[in-house]
Amino acid sequence: MATARYDLVVIGSGPGGYVAAIRASQLKMRVAVVERDLPGGVCLNWGCIPSKALLNSAETMELIRSAAQEHGIETREVRFDFKRVITRSREAADKLSKGVRFLLRKNKIDYVEAQAALAGPHTVALAPVAGKNAPPAEAVEAERILIAAGSTEKLFPGMTIGDGVMTSKEALLNDHLPGSIVIIGAGAIGAEFGYFYQAFGSKVTIVELEKQMLPGMDAEVAEELRKAFVKRGVTVLLGHGYQSLARKGDGWSVGLDASGTAMMVDAEAILVAVGRGPVSRELGLEKLGIEIERGGFIKTDDSFRSTCPSVYAIGDVARPPLLAHKASAEGVAAVEIMAGIREPGFDLLSIPACIYCEPEVAMVGLSEADAKARGIEVKIGRMPFRANGKAVAVNQTEGFVKIVASKQYGEVVGCQIVGHHATDLISEVVLGKTLETTTAELGRSVHPHPTLSEAIMEAALAADGEAINF
Amino acid sequence: MPKLSDTMEEGKILRWLKHPGDQVHHGEPIAEVETDKADMVMEAFDDGLLDEIVVNEGESAKVGAVIAVLRSSAGEVSRPPAERAAAASEPRALPEQQAQTNGGAAKPMENKPTKAEEPEAPPAESRGRVAPMRQLRRRRAFGAEAETDKTVIASSAQPPQALEAEAGSEDGSQDQGPRFHPAMSAVQSAAPTAIAAAPSRPPVSLAAEQHETLEPGDSKLRASPLARRAAEEAGIELGQVRGTGPEGRITKRDIDNFLREQQLFKFRRLIAPREGLPGTREELSKMRKTIAHRMAQSKREIPHFYVTIEVDMEEAVKLKNSLEVTELFEEDITYNDIIIKATTLALSRYTRMNASFEDDGVVIYPNINIGMAVAVEDGLIVPVIHQCEQKTLPEISRAAHRLVAKAAHGGFSGEDLSGATFTISNMGMLGVEHFAAVIVPPQAAILAVSAVKDKPIVRNGDVVVGKTMMLTVACDHRVIDGVVGARFLNEVKRFLENPASLLV
Repeated sequence: MATARYDLVVIGSGPGGYVAAIRASQLKMRVAVVERDLPGGVCLNWGCIPSKALLNSAETMELIRSAAQEHGIETREVRFDFKRVITRSREAADKLSKGVRFLLRKNKIDYVEAQAALAGPHTVALAPVAGKNAPPAEAVEAERILIAAGSTEKLFPGMTIGDGVMTSKEALLNDHLPGSIVIIGAGAIGAEFGYFYQAFGSKVTIVELEKQMLPGMDAEVAEELRKAFVKRGVTVLLGHGYQSLARKGDGWSVGLDASGTAMMVDAEAILVAVGRGPVSRELGLEKLGIEIERGGFIKTDDSFRSTCPSVYAIGDVARPPLLAHKASAEGVAAVEIMAGIREPGFDLLSIPACIYCEPEVAMVGLSEADAKARGIEVKIGRMPFRANGKAVAVNQTEGFVKIVASKQYGEVVGCQIVGHHATDLISEVVLGKTLETTTAELGRSVHPHPTLSEAIMEAALAADGEAINF
Repeated sequence: MPKLSDTMEEGKILRWLKHPGDQVHHGEPIAEVETDKADMVMEAFDDGLLDEIVVNEGESAKVGAVIAVLRSSAGEVSRPPAERAAAASEPRALPEQQAQTNGGAAKPMENKPTKAEEPEAPPAESRGRVAPMRQLRRRRAFGAEAETDKTVIASSAQPPQALEAEAGSEDGSQDQGPRFHPAMSAVQSAAPTAIAAAPSRPPVSLAAEQHETLEPGDSKLRASPLARRAAEEAGIELGQVRGTGPEGRITKRDIDNFLREQQLFKFRRLIAPREGLPGTREELSKMRKTIAHRMAQSKREIPHFYVTIEVDMEEAVKLKNSLEVTELFEEDITYNDIIIKATTLALSRYTRMNASFEDDGVVIYPNINIGMAVAVEDGLIVPVIHQCEQKTLPEISRAAHRLVAKAAHGGFSGEDLSGATFTISNMGMLGVEHFAAVIVPPQAAILAVSAVKDKPIVRNGDVVVGKTMMLTVACDHRVIDGVVGARFLNEVKRFLENPASLLV
C-alpha cells in the first residue's frame, strides 16, 4: 500500500470518520482510515455508548429503589457491585468497537493504526503509536483527505488529572464509587454523570457558572431538569464559577465564586465536565495554511472543504454542535458532495441533541429564545406529561413537550422535550422538521393511545390554541 | 383585462392609444386603464394588428375579460386564448370566439399579484407529448407602470427562468411533468393573442380546464407543507418553482431562492439592458419620462459637488463572513446592510447630510429613512427603510430583505416607496471601480457605492493585498459645504473599518 494512491483518506474512525469511509466505499472510492486510538472513536469507546450503559445501570437502580414505595414490590437490602457496573459498560464499548473494525473490513477499507498529520495537499504522514502495530508506510497519498479527528475533554489551565480528579474519560474507567463528588459543569456530560453517581448513592454537587443548567439550551427545560435533580437529592449550584482546587485529606476542596462571594465545597472526587474542544493541533494544518476558526475548529465551506481544496473536515473538529450523529450525517454529506451526488449545504437546525439522564432531555431546532433572537415571531405549544395518560399510568410524569412554531406559517422551528423516553420521542419531530412540517400536520397526525408520543401531538395543537387534553 | 394591482378586480379603459388597423408591437403602450389604485398604461404582450376593440373608452371590464383582439402578423383571424372559459363569464366575448377552433386555451387569470406574464407556446419542433417545462416557462414581459407623486413604480414581471430557457431544457429533472397534456401542442406558435388577456397564468394551468391535470396547488405536486404555505402567501404558483429536495420535492428554500432569483433577474436585466434598434426612435415609458424629468431637475437646480474616499473593507468582510458562519440570522447580512448601518450612524452625527433645501431654508429631518436604488427592467425604484436610526444591523437587514422580496413579486405599499431622506446607490454587484450619483430631489445627498475589490494597499509599511471599496457622496452645496461632506464620508469610512461598532 506504500505506493497506493487512495481516492480518500479519512483521519479518525469515530462516528464521523468510519461512517464517511463506508459511504465513500459504497460510492466506489478507494478508502483508508487512520486511527490513533480505537475503532469507533470517542463515541463508542469513551462517550456515548459506555456512558449509556452506565446510565442504564443507574436507571435500573433507581427503579429498584422506588419499587417498594411505588409498586408495592418488596425488595431486601439492595446491594451492587460497582466494578461490575463499569465492566458491563466496557463490554458494550468493546463489542461495538469490534463491530466498527468488522464493518470497515467488510467494506474493503484499509484500517491504519497511526498518528496522522498532513504533509501535503494529498499526503498524510503516518507516525507510529506506542502499543499499536507500526504503520505500513511513512505516508499515504490521496486524492482527497477528510479530517474527522473529533474532540477532546477541556480542562482548566494548570489542572492535572489523577487522584480522583477526572474527566468523563477517567470516570468511565473508574470502578471505585466515590462517596462524594463535585461535578464542574452542568451541560450534557455533567448532568448525565450527576444522575449516575446520585443513583448509586454518591453525594453529588453540580457546579455551573451560568445561571441555568444546560447552558445555551431552553431555560424552561433547564429549570425542569434542575427541579428533577434537586428532588433526587443532587445539590445544584448555579452562577458559581470554579476558582481553585486544593488537596484536603484524601479528597479535594473546590474553591468557588458566587458573584463575588467565595465558598468551598469538599468532595472525594472531582469530575471536570466543562465541554469538549476540537483536536485540530498535531494534524499539520498550519503546514498547508489551513485556516482555523475561533475555538480551534477547522474552517470549512458549504461542501465541508477546508481552505485547502483537497482537504475536508467534518464532525467535532469542524464545528459545533459536538454530537456523534451530526458527525455521521456530515460525513455522509461530505462524501456525497465529493462524489457530486448531493448539493452543498447542511441543515444544522435539524440535528437533534439528547441528554440521557432521567428525566431525559431531547431537542431539535431553535429554542424559543433563539427563534426570537433571529427575529422569528413564534407561537409556543406546551404539553406537560402529567396530562398524558401513559405517563401517569407508568408513573413518569416529570417534564413536558414544548413546540416552537413560526407565527407566519406554523413551521415547526424547534422542539424541546424533557421527560421519560424524550430521546426516543424527538425523532418524530426531527422527521417533521426535515419534511418542513407545520403544526397543522403534526397536530392532525393520529397518535396511538395511550403513548407518550401523544404529548407531541397535543403540544402541536396547543401551539394553535387547540389542545384537547390540556 | 390584465390585473394591474393586487387588489384590482376591474379596470376602466380611459383611452385607447391604438386603434383598429394599427400595427402594435410587443411592449408598446396600447391603452390607458383606470384601476382602483391609479391610472396605468397597458402594454401589448405580442406583435400584431389590432383587429377589434371590444371594450370601448369609458367602459369597464372585469379582470380577465377580453378587451380587444390582435391579429397575428401572418394575417390569421384572431383567437384570443381563454375563449371558452371567458365566454362562460364574459358576455362581451365575440360569438366566433366561442367556437372551439383553437385548442390552447388559458382561462382568464383570477387572483394574481401585479406581475403579469403570458406563457409562450413552444416552438413546433420541440413539441412533444410532454413538453419540456423550461421551454413552457418562457414568458413575455408585461410591464405596467404607475406614477405616484413621490416615486416611480414599475411593475414588471419576467421570471428568472426566461434567461435559462435554452440552457435548461436538457435538464432531465425538469421534464417530468405529467401536468402537460398533449393538447398543449395544439397551441399555435403564430396563434393570435387577446391583448392583455390572461397575463399571469403559469403554463401549468394552460391545459387545466380542458383535461384532468394537476393544478399548481394540487396536493400531488411534491412540496413540503411549509413550502406550500410560503408559496401561497407570496402568491407564487408552485408549478413555477424548481424543487431541489429528494425527487424534486419543493422545499421552503426553493421558494426563497425563487423569490431571490426573481430579484437577481432584474439586476441581470440592468447588465443587459433592452436594446434599442439603430435608426429608430423610441418613445419613453412613463417611468423613463419621470427619471428624465427628475434627474434633469436635480442637475438644473442642485449645485452638486462630489467627495470620494477609499475604504479598507477587510474588517467589514470579516464581519460579514463571521456572521454567516455563526448562522445567527436566518438571512445573511449583506454588504448593503452593513453600508446602510454605517451610513445611518454617520448621518446621526452629521445631521445636515440628512436634510432638504426648501424655500431658502434647510429642513433637517427628524428620522433617517434610507432609500436603496434598485434596478428594475428599464428603470429603477427606490424602496425605503424607515427610521434606520432606531434599527440594529439585523433589523436593517430584515427590512432590506423584505423590500427585496416585495420588489420580486410586487406588493409595495405606498410607504415602502416614499419618505426617503437619504439615498444609497450601490453598483458593487456590477463590479464598478468608481461612480458618482445624481441627487434625488428634495434630498441633499446621495452615496454611490462601488465594488469591493482586491487591491494592493499599504499596511504597516508593507504592500499587501487588501479589500477596498470606493465611496462617493454627491452633496447639495446649498445645504452642505465641502468640510461637512468630507467629514461625513470619513465617518462612514471609520465605521466600516471598525465594524464592531455596527453591532452595538
